[in-house]
Amino acid sequence: MKKSRYNLEFKLFFRSSSSWIGIVVLLITGFAGLYFGKTFVARQKAVIEKAALLQKKNTINNINHFGKDIGLFFFHNKFTLANAPNNWAAFANGQRDINPYLISVTMLGLEGQLYDTDINNPVSLLLGNMDLSFVYIFLFPLVIIAFTYNLLSEQKESGIWSLLRAQTNQSFQVIWQKFLVRLVVIFTVALLLLFIAMLYLELPQDFTFLSVTVLILLYLTFWFAISFFFISLGKSSNFNASALIAVWVLLCIVIPASFNLFLTWKYPVPEALQNVINQREGYHEKWDMAKDVTMKPFFEHYPQLKKYPFPEQKTFSWYWYYAMQQMGDDQAATSRFAIEKKLASRQYFTNIFAFFFPTIQTQLGVNKMAGSDLDTHLGFQQAVRKYHEQIRLHFYPAIFLNQSVDNTDIKNYKLEKYNPQEIPYIWINMLSVSLLTIMIIGATALNLKRFNN
Amino acid sequence: MSARISTIAKQTFKAAFNNSATLALTLLLGLSLCLATYVGWQNFKTQNNQRLHYKELVRAQWLAKPDKHPHRMAHYGYLAFREKHELSFFDFGIESFAGVSIFLEAHKQNTVNFSEAGFTNGMLSFGEISVAMVLQLLVPLLIFFLGYNSISAERESGTLKILLCQDVSWKQLLWGKTIGIIGVCLSIFIPLILLTILLWASLSHWQISMDSALRLLLLVLSYAIYFFIISAITVLVSAFARSSKSALITLLACWIFFMVIMPRITQAVGVKIHPSPSKIEFADAIAADVHRQGDSHDPNDPHYAAIKDSLLKAYTVDDVKKLPFNYGGYIMAEGEKITSKIYSQHQNELNHIFEKQNSITTISGFLNPYLLLKHISMALTASDFNTFVDFQHQAETYRYQLAQKMNKLQIEKISNIAPGEEEKPLAISKANWAEQPDFNYHFKKLGTVLSNELLALSALTFWLLVAVMLLQYSTKWIKTIS
Repeated sequence: MKKSRYNLEFKLFFRSSSSWIGIVVLLITGFAGLYFGKTFVARQKAVIEKAALLQKKNTINNINHFGKDIGLFFFHNKFTLANAPNNWAAFANGQRDINPYLISVTMLGLEGQLYDTDINNPVSLLLGNMDLSFVYIFLFPLVIIAFTYNLLSEQKESGIWSLLRAQTNQSFQVIWQKFLVRLVVIFTVALLLLFIAMLYLELPQDFTFLSVTVLILLYLTFWFAISFFFISLGKSSNFNASALIAVWVLLCIVIPASFNLFLTWKYPVPEALQNVINQREGYHEKWDMAKDVTMKPFFEHYPQLKKYPFPEQKTFSWYWYYAMQQMGDDQAATSRFAIEKKLASRQYFTNIFAFFFPTIQTQLGVNKMAGSDLDTHLGFQQAVRKYHEQIRLHFYPAIFLNQSVDNTDIKNYKLEKYNPQEIPYIWINMLSVSLLTIMIIGATALNLKRFNN
Repeated sequence: MSARISTIAKQTFKAAFNNSATLALTLLLGLSLCLATYVGWQNFKTQNNQRLHYKELVRAQWLAKPDKHPHRMAHYGYLAFREKHELSFFDFGIESFAGVSIFLEAHKQNTVNFSEAGFTNGMLSFGEISVAMVLQLLVPLLIFFLGYNSISAERESGTLKILLCQDVSWKQLLWGKTIGIIGVCLSIFIPLILLTILLWASLSHWQISMDSALRLLLLVLSYAIYFFIISAITVLVSAFARSSKSALITLLACWIFFMVIMPRITQAVGVKIHPSPSKIEFADAIAADVHRQGDSHDPNDPHYAAIKDSLLKAYTVDDVKKLPFNYGGYIMAEGEKITSKIYSQHQNELNHIFEKQNSITTISGFLNPYLLLKHISMALTASDFNTFVDFQHQAETYRYQLAQKMNKLQIEKISNIAPGEEEKPLAISKANWAEQPDFNYHFKKLGTVLSNELLALSALTFWLLVAVMLLQYSTKWIKTIS
């Protein structure tokens, strides 16, 4: 009996053209999201491959041009580290359009090179990317609203509800069944899209896949809960539609957008501009100072390099030049740490705030799993610092001893890829979305109690 | 005729405010607008003051540099900061996505770095609230809520027949309802504009410029037209819809499609059709062109060898050291000329590709009034792509002048005989540094802006005409009884 009623509800649901429109919209935008997301990542992968070829070509060119003067060679020669996108980045492009995924640096001062951006079209950055995470976070809730807002009110407005109530005392069961049918349909579409994403984007079936799936299903449950809460108020269809859209606008647009403005205002990052100035002065002022001003702190920084004789008498030497460059970085250290501290406090504040807003929480969680968040980029920057330091220490002796470029192993250097070691986890995000969902379900239960009385 | 329209308009206006939900919504929106204006204004001041502070610091440091070789100064270079236009607190446009500072040095063109977007964690994909965003996105939503049942409710309650029997024409009804709804919008819009004018005037220290005043005037006008278009569409949808419910659902679906989904898709399509080179490809193409033109580092390069020969001939000497000016400076000036010309060509091509990418979105303005207004609003508040490109252009011009100025000082004032390995380096007096003026960005004049935005402006006119025509002539297809 019960089973056949569900069958009937499914039939009813699929007979309505608006149901099909909703499903088709989700599938089409989902496919578009997959396509554009994959194009975005494929492009980055292609550029990285090209960069690897150019790295080799440019090194050989530089050897031909400047090979006679090792100091000059390393003045020009660049070393590249790439933050190659993993397949998940196609699912959630995140910050990967804004932050550079290739950083090429010479052995000179790092602080003057590390923050160079990619060449981007700012309008594209402004309007945002079309990826599958956008469909899940923005569009699925809308279709959930469209499917459920009038479940009860329509029955009431058409007069069926009073008939039903007169005939059975389990009238609410009918609404609940209709609701479950919609839940099953939406979850099926969501899982279907995830399955297609798994095939199309070649996502491995691992912990990450599981985490993202769970987070997204929790997020969709949250929206069902919100919608059911409004149904339980028993108001008119128009009220429900307006109120639910208002909630969507608040959660998906107004609150995050206001938060962004607040964040920029509360935590401005003038340290970034200060850092550029510190680095530039720290290096350039040394030209007009006694060599000792540069060399003393340089040898304090690298006592192991003291053994290489410094040509004190020469007006100019590469030894002195690279030490001056190092001073730029050293003198920018405080402002550099200040930037890191400021970004950390921004991050901390965002995390606390996001705890109350599932939309932000889900977006941040998905970006994190996809390695397209700010943390991954900062990790990449740290990796560039490490790589740069390693190159410096490796080649300093050859430069200081004025050896020939051919005696170094420079030809072995190729484009390196950044591999973040830890797998991120998103328990907190899942917890926050679940808690909020449970709270709303609680509020709905209270409503229903009143309703039944 | 017009008396009837105004009666209907007044009635609509009053009815809207009698509804407590509408009143609450309007007040809420008004309040959040004022808040957005205030925080936007504060934010503008903080950010702009930062940039001005560092701009002064950079200038002071430049002037304080001791006597040195001019080429050292050319490498010391300059830092330029992108100033915000005083109206950009109204519409942030691409502000947060475009870099803020650029290092200008000899031989090398750098990127504009440190955009706000680089410091945030994925949150910015949700947008950033500004007065413009509220007016463009949320006010239409308010209009939809106000007007979705403007005609359909009259039809459903049966008052529509009575109205039309009493010699009220469809035209009057549509116009009256539209004007009434605009009235409600204006009741939040007008105080907001007054607040904007006040804050803007205080930003410019009460010395307002004619150019900005005109920009603001056009901005107000464009937004007013936008509200009219949206209101007219709302009333028309309500008139044509089968029921209030279907009108509301249609309007909300349109809102989501046109304002949330479409902008991303048009831009994604633009990027797909007109791919732009990556930074490494861009740099490699420039390097290849420079190499083709000649290599100033290579003493045997034919281009530079020819220059050398002609100089030796003209001054009838047998060695460049005997030339009456600094030969190294001369060659560098020549190199700078060639490389910066090649760079500018590539940069212009790149910007052209970006423009083509954006043009898909701009042309979509003919289908989507939201995209259209967004574009015009950004252009008028100088927070658009063109202004950013113009900044890059002015910064590059300044960089070139600085490098050539230093080359000129080297040519004229530095001896042609290089000092020995252990001798003091050649230098000129620090008094020369003041000759290089400070970098000041000049915003384009309104006339130039308007001539660049002809397409968007004609789309706005197109929509205005469509709205008026529909209100005037679509009435014959509307059904009085459902």
